[in-house]
Amino acid sequence: MSSRRSRASVSEEEINELISRLQTLLPSARRRVGREASTTKLLKETCSYIKSLHREVDNLSDRLSDLMATMDHNSPGAEIIRSLLR
Amino acid sequence: MRGPNNAASSSTSKGGGAMAAFKQDLLRNLLLGLRARTAEAACPFDAMSLQERKRAVKCSADVAMAAAAPRRASATGGRARWPKAILAAAAAASSSSHSPSGTCKVRKSACKCKRVARRRVDAKRIRGYAAASCDVARRLVRRRTMALRKVIPGGNAAMDDAALLRETMDYVVHLRAQVDVLRRISAAVQISTSLRDPSQSMAQL
Repeated sequence: MSSRRSRASVSEEEINELISRLQTLLPSARRRVGREASTTKLLKETCSYIKSLHREVDNLSDRLSDLMATMDHNSPGAEIIRSLLR
Repeated sequence: MRGPNNAASSSTSKGGGAMAAFKQDLLRNLLLGLRARTAEAACPFDAMSLQERKRAVKCSADVAMAAAAPRRASATGGRARWPKAILAAAAAASSSSHSPSGTCKVRKSACKCKRVARRRVDAKRIRGYAAASCDVARRLVRRRTMALRKVIPGGNAAMDDAALLRETMDYVVHLRAQVDVLRRISAAVQISTSLRDPSQSMAQL
């Protein structure tokens, strides 16, 4: 029983460490320096953050598709994009 | 890459170097993918409907991200799963071509599942108030973990919570980079279209 507990506590430590590493990625990391948030709150925030990133990708894709429709796509436009972003 | 590209990756210890390469690969994949899509498809970009075009760009962006994902060990300590999941989903979507109603149905059923789950959690919370608080906390963490699995590509595959957290971190880092690349492309396309009209660019200056 004790061996099982120690195994479980090791993985719990690992999970806690992963959770705190995950916390540093979230946008609220700067505001929450030094203050620990609960696991459930962090997981919830992670979900909403990923969903908001998905929404942003959707919006940007929409904007890009609109822009590309108005531009000549086998044109210098593509070359300019590549050189601007190199 | 010119310009500050460290905004999205500054929080990771990997540094901007790895993410810069990923962004360049993503950009290249995206341009190639879009070009291939318009070349091989019967209808060129302009002839697509608005919906089709938006879906094509979105799908290309995701496939570009998945294809550009580094193969070596990253945050996951092994190979991340989400790129394969994205590519598998894209392949399935393209084989069952033209099924916008299909994706809508999937999303609707997912929303329904969420609603039902939330009701169950509330009921258990009321009943379990007297019970051990750690038990309730564990159940809430379970719900949150399940919600996270739905949002991460390939998250529903069998993996323990530690692996899920590593996947999440890897996915978030790359997702942010994807957003960054798309932002820059949009800005660049905007510039390039205004450059072709010299009167417009003079006005901007």
